[in-house]
Amino acid sequence: MRAAPGAQPDRPFKLRKSLATRREEVAGIRAKFPTKIPVIVERYHKEKYLPLLDKTKFLVPEELTMAQFITIIRSRMALTATQAFYLLVNNKSLASMSLTMAEVYGDYKDEDGFVYMTYASQEMFGCLLPIAQGKTVECFQKI
Amino acid sequence: MAVVGTCHEGSMVEAGSRRMVCCFIICLWAWCLWVDGSYFGGKGSTLCTAVLPCSSASLCLSGPADCEEQNPLGGWVGGGFSSVGAPLMCVPFHAEHFAEKEEILLDVTSRLWFTYRKNFPAIGGTGPTSDTGWGCMLRCGQMIFAQALVCRHLGRDWRWIKGKRQMDNYFNVLNAFIDKKDSYYSIHQIAQMGVGEGKSIGQWYGPNTVAQVLKKLATFDTWSSLAVHIAMDNTVVMEEIRRLCQSHVPCAGAAACPALESDVLYNGCPEDLGLRGRLPLWKPLVLLIPLRLGLTEINEAYIETLKHCFMMPQSLGVIGGKPNSAHYFIGFVGEELIYLDPHTTQPAVEPGDSGCLPDESFHCQHPPCRMSIAELDPSIAVGFFCNTEADFNDWCQQIKKLSLVRGALPMFELVERQPSHFSNPDVLNLTPDSSDADRLERFFDSEDEDFEILSL
Repeated sequence: MRAAPGAQPDRPFKLRKSLATRREEVAGIRAKFPTKIPVIVERYHKEKYLPLLDKTKFLVPEELTMAQFITIIRSRMALTATQAFYLLVNNKSLASMSLTMAEVYGDYKDEDGFVYMTYASQEMFGCLLPIAQGKTVECFQKI
Repeated sequence: MAVVGTCHEGSMVEAGSRRMVCCFIICLWAWCLWVDGSYFGGKGSTLCTAVLPCSSASLCLSGPADCEEQNPLGGWVGGGFSSVGAPLMCVPFHAEHFAEKEEILLDVTSRLWFTYRKNFPAIGGTGPTSDTGWGCMLRCGQMIFAQALVCRHLGRDWRWIKGKRQMDNYFNVLNAFIDKKDSYYSIHQIAQMGVGEGKSIGQWYGPNTVAQVLKKLATFDTWSSLAVHIAMDNTVVMEEIRRLCQSHVPCAGAAACPALESDVLYNGCPEDLGLRGRLPLWKPLVLLIPLRLGLTEINEAYIETLKHCFMMPQSLGVIGGKPNSAHYFIGFVGEELIYLDPHTTQPAVEPGDSGCLPDESFHCQHPPCRMSIAELDPSIAVGFFCNTEADFNDWCQQIKKLSLVRGALPMFELVERQPSHFSNPDVLNLTPDSSDADRLERFFDSEDEDFEILSL
């Protein structure tokens, strides 16, 4: 089903489609491309600094390493070498850069057959003065 | 305890005397906890000193290998180099002996504590004169870097004792961070250098931002002559670090120095170079590793690894925080992190008439704050200092060992050299393969999105 223009474009892939639909999709694509891994790459919903990718679904050669995959995405976004970029698998883990996609898939594959990755930079720290006062109270109460 | 709650920043800024009274109450309360043992020893019972071989009656002096044996509830203040030169000394927080507690508190007090300041010379001449509300991560960056400078110039064993006359190098370190435009690592320099990282003055920083800025500033600090490496993409490449630390060796390009990449600790260039003894062959290394250990909260699988990082003698601690407020984490006890907090506004310090610098406000003289590790924001930067090549080799060994510890998911990967294709994306065919595209045959005609197919 096509989303109405402008209607929640940021809804995560998993919520846009039912489990059955996603399973079907994976089964179809895996049959056609048995050596490629279906990967969903999405931006962390609170991310403020990194741009959106124009694609969400990738078919990645299974021998590609995480390092190579991240290099591709970094260059797509035109990030400089000093900009923080993290690709978290299943919203949790930094996959080792030397792992191949096939290994990542084996470890982290979702029940629907996709492997899910979310990208984010780092949080910034600071606070407005009124909050700062609150935080200070909290800190000193802990002592 | 209710009185403590009134001690917020507003009252500190407005009423110094009230702050004094307030802090006195805090100290008294903390002291009571301290004395009855519930402050640091309340949660666990096993003493690290009971598990580890100790070379001192009052203090656990132990190499990192032994640290693995310690009770998981034990606490540590990261980093240490013993006075005899070997990398040693993890300070146990579960110390029952009063002398040990005193030693630990002394370690905390000796750290340089950088907080918000007000009434310093305007940044850039017309900019802010206070960093309250925005400078906390910049201050944390100063704290972790100051610890590196302390290790570099004073040694990890150096201690600050109130009222005791300190050596000149101590004041040189402190001066590098004083709030004026020409100090190497002043808030002025950090804020202005941040513009190059896309941060306007007064904007908030992340751990990576401040690390990148400090790296740039360190190139001007010829006195410290540090090699600063920031490991991106959660990967530490040993070859890059060796190249960086040895880059200034005068004979690096000459055939006279063949052993550049070997593990052998070579003693340098031939005598006739005449530079031996004056130029170190390994620039002291500050290694900063910015990480994101989860999205909204830290993935608990990393907690054990994080703790191990504090236990390494090369540890400089961690910069990070709770959402919106940055802290400098220096160790842990049980499931809590111990940190220095920059969220107190103090007046800027000016050198006195005699040229000496009043330094008491740069040392946190109350017991440090604590928070649950689970509360840690996932965005952090972990810091290490390797004074010599042997320190670095030792660090690599420890990281390799750590990757074998069960239940400790590695936070970063240590590799000998840059993975192939990593630095050169052009090598990869990034465009969708046309034959693949044909095979796709509009497989998802009814779909709103297609796959992007990557090929090698």
